[in-house]
Amino acid sequence: MNREHLGERLSALIDGELGPAEHESALIHLAKCESCRFEADMMRRLKRRLHGLGEPEPDLDFMGRLVGLSRADGPGGGAPRGPSEPPPGGAGFGARPPLGSSRPLGGFPGEGPAGSPVPMMTEETVVAPERSARRRGDRFSHLLPTLPGGRYAVAGFAVATVLLGGAFVAGGEPGDAPVVEPRLSDFAVEHAVTSRVIPVVDTPADPAAAPSGSGPDLPTR
Amino acid sequence: MSAEEPSAHPFPTAVAALALLCLLLTGSAHPGADETPAVGSDDGMPVLRRSAEAAGTVAYTAVREMTGESGRGTEPTRLVNRPGDGVALVPMGEGGRPFIVRDSPFKELDERLLSTLERVYAVGDAGITDLDGRPTHTVEAARANGTVAGRFWVDVDTGILVGGSVYEETGRAVFGFRLTDLEPGDDGHWPEEAVTDSPWGDVLSPTEREELREEGWELPEHLTWNLSLVDARGTVHAGHKVVHAVYSDGMSQVSVFSQRGKLEEGHPFAFRNGSVGTGTGGTGVTPQHDTIFDGGRYHALWQADGFVYTVLADAPADLTSSAVTALPGPEDSGFWSRVQRGMSRLGFL
Repeated sequence: MNREHLGERLSALIDGELGPAEHESALIHLAKCESCRFEADMMRRLKRRLHGLGEPEPDLDFMGRLVGLSRADGPGGGAPRGPSEPPPGGAGFGARPPLGSSRPLGGFPGEGPAGSPVPMMTEETVVAPERSARRRGDRFSHLLPTLPGGRYAVAGFAVATVLLGGAFVAGGEPGDAPVVEPRLSDFAVEHAVTSRVIPVVDTPADPAAAPSGSGPDLPTR
Repeated sequence: MSAEEPSAHPFPTAVAALALLCLLLTGSAHPGADETPAVGSDDGMPVLRRSAEAAGTVAYTAVREMTGESGRGTEPTRLVNRPGDGVALVPMGEGGRPFIVRDSPFKELDERLLSTLERVYAVGDAGITDLDGRPTHTVEAARANGTVAGRFWVDVDTGILVGGSVYEETGRAVFGFRLTDLEPGDDGHWPEEAVTDSPWGDVLSPTEREELREEGWELPEHLTWNLSLVDARGTVHAGHKVVHAVYSDGMSQVSVFSQRGKLEEGHPFAFRNGSVGTGTGGTGVTPQHDTIFDGGRYHALWQADGFVYTVLADAPADLTSSAVTALPGPEDSGFWSRVQRGMSRLGFL
């Protein structure tokens, strides 16, 4: 095992699956073999990154397309298809870009035709959880202020809007309030007879000749 | 040197304490004008009660003149009092028609007004003075701070109230009336034809008033510190109930007419910010309507909270303004006013 590279045992070494003797000899080999040491280092990094990705969450685009697919297949969603017929879209399942790939139709620029193998995951394509979460919120990011408490600001704005809207509705006039015209002349007489500070009543002999400003109603009593 | 410092300023400290004591004493010795009841012997009340009694028993004829806040007098009116029939007013100029008011409810109302006057002011007998050659009792109604709020002149021989005047706190006379050419009896002066009227007959009992309040009607027992509810009546106009609440301080009367509903936006009067005749918040109460009232009367009309309010007052402008302000304010049709109104209704304000 001296000049022979570790090969598949390298993966077992990193996963801690070697026995004590094999583990000791592998470490001795790594101390001497720069090539295996480099490969072990890369493999550790890769496994660490893969481990850090955690459980993938369904993409919103994927969910949307899945829902659309289910609607198309549902009752009234179209003419019944035979099992051999391709789903709507003109291609069979798998013939178009995989659901959830979130890539534009036709693939990325420079990418091969649909159905070509997905490129190997490189360091650039590995997305950290934080960045992934940020990407999911990107479509709403233009609505958010750039302040650190943007979400709270949006929540406050929504509460204020609801409050103002509710107050505006509550502040409206009662819908069943009748339109009334106060009979000022009657009121004047009523006030006069109770206060007994009786005014000079310039009631015209002909009510039709009353000035327009004398009130909406002439005395009716 | 430091040992001398505590006793270095004994005089200013004593002066400050003395000044504070004086301030407290003078503050308690001079109550505000709006404190009730005003302290006094109220020895003028028997004179006024005798006068109210005379109004229901003595027939007389006189010429009445009224003066408003501007000091401008109105056209003289012949006043004929005939107990049992009422009071007739005969305009002495051209164009006016005689008007007769039935006097059946006045006795009770008089007693309420006098009780209110006694409760709010210190009513003192200021002695006998000569008025137009007739000896008269002068009765002064004073505020709690000693300023005169009103004066009454009662004829010594007949007990008839021959004059009255209302003063603002500065001492300026703002409203008054006076009877001249007083003659006993009504011979030849009682009009044969006249418009006859009497107060609305549906007097609202305290229980009915409480029920109206529970239904949302604005009918407070007190509008301001000196204006209290002395009478409430109701009637029906075009199928809608109208409530007439009379507020008084014993000298001036403010009538508040309430109707459930709203004003038509195309009202013949200028409809500005939901009010007619007054500004938002009761400011700018406008004088009387020339074609209906004579001098000295104020008028305001607005809508608020599903009710239309009309205020008529034979009272000083500041008293009328405070009465208007005490009622729900005129509604503004603006966005923020509506939001504020809604906040208030929802209990946030």
